[in-house]
Amino acid sequence: MDITEILSRCKNGDREAWNMLINSYSKAVYNIALNFFADRDIAADVTQDIFLKVYHNLEKFKEEKNFTAWLFTISRNYCIDYWRKNKKYLMNNQELDEKVSVPAPTPEDNLVRESEISRLRKKIAQLEPDLRVILILRDIQDLSYQEIASRFSIPEGTVKSRINRARLKLAQSFALGES
Amino acid sequence: MIIQCKETESLLSSYLENELSPDDTERVARHLAVCPHCLALKEKLEEILLKLADLQEEVPFFLKNRLFNIPEISEKKKSASIIYFPKWLAAAVGTVILFLNLFYFTNMFPLANREMHSLVGSIETFVVQTGGWFEKIKESKDLLLFTFFNKKTSASKDDKLSTDFNLNKSLSKGGNNG
Repeated sequence: MDITEILSRCKNGDREAWNMLINSYSKAVYNIALNFFADRDIAADVTQDIFLKVYHNLEKFKEEKNFTAWLFTISRNYCIDYWRKNKKYLMNNQELDEKVSVPAPTPEDNLVRESEISRLRKKIAQLEPDLRVILILRDIQDLSYQEIASRFSIPEGTVKSRINRARLKLAQSFALGES
Repeated sequence: MIIQCKETESLLSSYLENELSPDDTERVARHLAVCPHCLALKEKLEEILLKLADLQEEVPFFLKNRLFNIPEISEKKKSASIIYFPKWLAAAVGTVILFLNLFYFTNMFPLANREMHSLVGSIETFVVQTGGWFEKIKESKDLLLFTFFNKKTSASKDDKLSTDFNLNKSLSKGGNNG
């Protein structure tokens, strides 16, 4: 079943179609939120809010538009709004995590990996919101520059320069942390 | 042409993704060969790019369930929101009542206290009078209904009597003829 059919069935209140929509898109949205906030609980709440928004606005969505682009725009805007509204709390939290909870490397491989992942996520969460979203889509979700540009209606060159800036900032913050 | 660190940095991402022209690729490679700072940055970037690919996670089971249930939750919320009383209005009304109690039960501001008592007194009078009016209206309604129905019943009784009388009259006439 293609997305147009799933959406039209969702609009008619078909629960099975809604479940299919969730199965197809929840991972992408959850990973945007998770890597944006570096916090699983906040990511879960934000993902739920985004899909609530999608559900309430399904009627307004026009079939000729690209659903993925629409969903990603909603996700990006919601993450940035949430970040702005709770900036103080989120930044305090991150600073606290930075000081307290980065676990020392242990002999167990999976624990080391987990600590590296959480460190990387925290570094990503310190980037500017616009850079963050684009980096997540390109390097974590593996979208092409062209796809990102068309989804957010910005020139491909801007996407490339933002990605480069985000990656350099990440690399520099790691280099600083290690020195 | 030799390029500087700043330019190399701006090209590093494209260099790692093989998106530069052959000329630019060679220029960056030559700079990296002689600049340990940029080389270190390039190696760090490669390492980070590898790690970033690992950051994808599956959606937790509990969250998927919450997402599946969104239509139900929304429908419930929609039906609950039919009776909507804004919280701010409730808070404002509560605050005003508490504030007025301050005047009524304490004598901090005698004038306000007197005004409040006279206001409450007039409300009580109003309630009593209204109650009286209600009683009167109820009584007059009962009286009206009683009169109406009574009249109707007595009227129908009269009709019946007159019909019976006419019938008897005609029967007796017929009997005389026969």
